[in-house]
Amino acid sequence: MDLLQVAHLKKYFATQKAVDDISFSISEGQIFGLLGPNGAGKTTLIRMITGIFYPDAGTITLEGHPFDPVNDIGKIGYMPEERGLYKKMKIGEQALYLAQLKGLKKRDAIESLKTWFSRLQMDSWWNKKVEDLSKGMQQKLQFVTTVLHQPRLIILDEPFSGLDPVNSNLIKDEIFNLARNGATIIFSTHRMEQVEEICDHIILVNKGQKILDGTVQGIKQDFKEHLYKISFAGTPPQTAAPELFTVKQASSDALVIQKHPEVSNNQVLAHFLNAGSAIESFNELLPSLNDIFIRQVEGTPLARQFQTLQD
Amino acid sequence: MNKISLIIQREYLSRVRKRTFIITTLLFPLLYLALIFGTSYLSEKAGTKLKIAIIDSSGSFTQQRIDKANKDFPNSTFTLVQEMPATLDKQFEQKGFDGYLVIPANTMVSHSPDQLVVKSKKTLGAVSDVQTKLNTIWNEIKYENLGIDTLKQQLLNESQLKVKSENMEHKTTDASVAYGIGFVSGFLIYFILIIYGAQVMMGVMEEKTNRIAEIIVSSVKPFQLMIGKIIGIACVALTQFLLWIAFIFIIYNATRAGSGMLNNSALTGAVGGVQQLFTSTNVPVILALFVFYFLGGFFFYASIYAAVGSTVNEDMREAQSLSFPITMIIIFAFFIMMTAAKDPGSPLAVWGSIIPFTSPLVMMARVPYGMPGTVPYWQLALSMFVLMASFLFVTWFAGKIYRTGILMYGKKPTWKEMIRWAMRK
Repeated sequence: MDLLQVAHLKKYFATQKAVDDISFSISEGQIFGLLGPNGAGKTTLIRMITGIFYPDAGTITLEGHPFDPVNDIGKIGYMPEERGLYKKMKIGEQALYLAQLKGLKKRDAIESLKTWFSRLQMDSWWNKKVEDLSKGMQQKLQFVTTVLHQPRLIILDEPFSGLDPVNSNLIKDEIFNLARNGATIIFSTHRMEQVEEICDHIILVNKGQKILDGTVQGIKQDFKEHLYKISFAGTPPQTAAPELFTVKQASSDALVIQKHPEVSNNQVLAHFLNAGSAIESFNELLPSLNDIFIRQVEGTPLARQFQTLQD
Repeated sequence: MNKISLIIQREYLSRVRKRTFIITTLLFPLLYLALIFGTSYLSEKAGTKLKIAIIDSSGSFTQQRIDKANKDFPNSTFTLVQEMPATLDKQFEQKGFDGYLVIPANTMVSHSPDQLVVKSKKTLGAVSDVQTKLNTIWNEIKYENLGIDTLKQQLLNESQLKVKSENMEHKTTDASVAYGIGFVSGFLIYFILIIYGAQVMMGVMEEKTNRIAEIIVSSVKPFQLMIGKIIGIACVALTQFLLWIAFIFIIYNATRAGSGMLNNSALTGAVGGVQQLFTSTNVPVILALFVFYFLGGFFFYASIYAAVGSTVNEDMREAQSLSFPITMIIIFAFFIMMTAAKDPGSPLAVWGSIIPFTSPLVMMARVPYGMPGTVPYWQLALSMFVLMASFLFVTWFAGKIYRTGILMYGKKPTWKEMIRWAMRK
C-alpha cells in the first residue's frame, strides 16, 4: 500500500511557480529521495506535505485518507534544513516540549526520550542548554526530537549537514533501523553519494516540476550510455571493431568502450578473445546519480528566474 | 487547545524563571520609592539658602520680628543692617550677602506699598521665598497697626469659602482620587503595552531567526503559536503587577505601623493616597474594567508587534524602524490619557476613549470619575465593543501576516506584500 500519494500538487507564489503540478507516491517502509537543485521547490513541496502550507491545487493522501493537517500531524516527523532550537532552554525540557506539541503524553515522552538519549550517547545532556552544544550535537538532538513520537512518515531535509563521519554513520544506521521498523522516510538532499547509498526510490525536481521518477537502479539503467571498462592482463589489443564498439578511453592496461546498443556483451567479449587478449575484468560503467543530476539540471538557468504571475 | 496551553506554559515559565525578571520585579518598586524619597529629600536639603541684607527705612521691621521669621522660614536668612544703601551697594558681597533689599520709608499699612527690589549681582531664582517670608512679617505689622488681636487673626485666616465639585451619581467620588486612580491605571496599561509589546516582538524575532518557527508550525498552527505567545507574555505582565501590588500592601502596612516614628511628608502622603484608593467604593468595577482594557489593549497591540516581529530578520534596526510608528501611537495615547485624567468630559477624552488605538489608556483615565455621570453607559459599551471587535480583527489580520512572515527569510517585505499575505486565504 502507498503510504503517501501526492497528485497534481501546485503552489504558486507571487513571483514563482514554486511547485507546478507534481505527482508521486511512496510505498510503506521505503526510503524516498527527493532531489533537486537549490530553489527547485523541494522545501515548498515538503511544507505542503507537513501541513505548513496549503496547496493551491492537488491532493495529498496519507495512509489512504486525504491528508488532514490538524489530526495527521502526529504521524509526521519533520526535520527542516534550517535547524532550530531555543538557545536558552534546557535540552531535556526542549525535547519534552517539542514531543508534547506533537501530542505525546508527558510520561511517555520522558520515557522514550531517555531511551533515545542513551542510544545516541546523550545521557549527560539533559540539563545542559542548547547554546552549550556544538553544531553536530544540536543535529543529533534535532534528529531525536524529529523521530521521538514514532511518526509513520519521517521527512529529513539534509540530515547529515554538519555531522562528522562517526555521527553521520550513527544517524544513517538509525534511519535504516526506522525504515526496517516500518517508518517511511523522505530524504531531501543534493548529496548524491548519500542518495545512492540510502534511497530505494528517488524523484528529481527542477523548477517546480518533476523531471525524473524511479528506483536508483532503474534510473541508472535509463541513463546508461553502454560504457564498459575492460581490464587486461597485458597491454590492451589495438584492434578496432567499429561495427561493435568505439573506444572512448585507453590506458596501459584497460579500455573504456562504448558498444552499440544492439550489440550483446558476448559479441564484444568474443571479439577480444579472438584477438587473444587476456581479460581480467569486464564491467558496465553506469552513470552516477551525480552525473545524471548534473545532466538533467544543466542547461536550465542555475538560479530560478522571477516571473510575474497573475493571482 | 491543549497545544496552546503548552505554548503558554513555555512562554510563561521561560520568562518568569529568568533572573532578569526577578531582578526587575524587585528593583522597580525600590527604584520607585527611591525616586519619591530622593526627590523630597533633595528638595529639602539642596535648595540654595539666600542671605539677604535688609535696610529698613520704614521702621516697622524690627530685629525681633526678623529673628522670628528666620526661625519659622529657615530657607533664607534675613539680616537687619544699618548701612546706607550706597555703601552696601559696594560691600554686600564682601559681607557675605547674596543681595540686599531696601524697605522704603513710605511702606505703610494705609496704602498699597511699592514693589520691593532685591538687588544682587546674580539673578536670584528663589525670590518668591523672600516674598513669602517678608509677607508673614508684613501681616503681623498690619494686624498690629489695625488693632486685630490673635483671635480675630485666626478668624480672618480660617474663615474662607471653599468650592469643590460633587458628582450627583457617585457622592463618594472625589476628583483628586479619581484623577489618581485614572492616571495610575492609564500609566500601568501604557507601561505594559510598551514593555511587554516589545517582548512579544523580540520573542517572535527570536523564533524566526533561530529557525525554530518551522519546527513548531509543523506541529501547531502559526496562529496558535502567536496567540500562545501573546497570552503567555500577558500572564507574565499580570504576575509582575500582582507582585507589585503585594509589595505595595506590604510597604503600606509596614509604613502605617511605623508612621508614628517617621515624620516624612512624602511618605505619609503616599500612605494617605493608597488609603484613599482602597477605601474608594467603586474599586471592584474599576478593577474589572482595568483587566478588560489591559487584556484588550494588550492583545490589540501585541498582535501588531507580533506581526512586525515576523516580518523582520536579525536586524534590530529594521525592527525598530517598523515598530516606531506603533510606539508613537502608544505615546500619543498616553498624552491624551493625561489630559483625559484632568478633564474627562472633553471631546478629545470622549473620542480617545472610543477609538481602539487609544481607548485602553484613555477610558481607564475617565471611568474613575464615575458612571454614568462622567462616562455614560453607551460610551462605555461602545468603547468596549469597538475594542473587542478591533482586537479580534487585528489579531486575525496580524495572524495572517505572521503565518507567512515567520517562514520568509531574506529581503524585508514591503507593506504591499504584507497586505497581500494577509489577503491570501
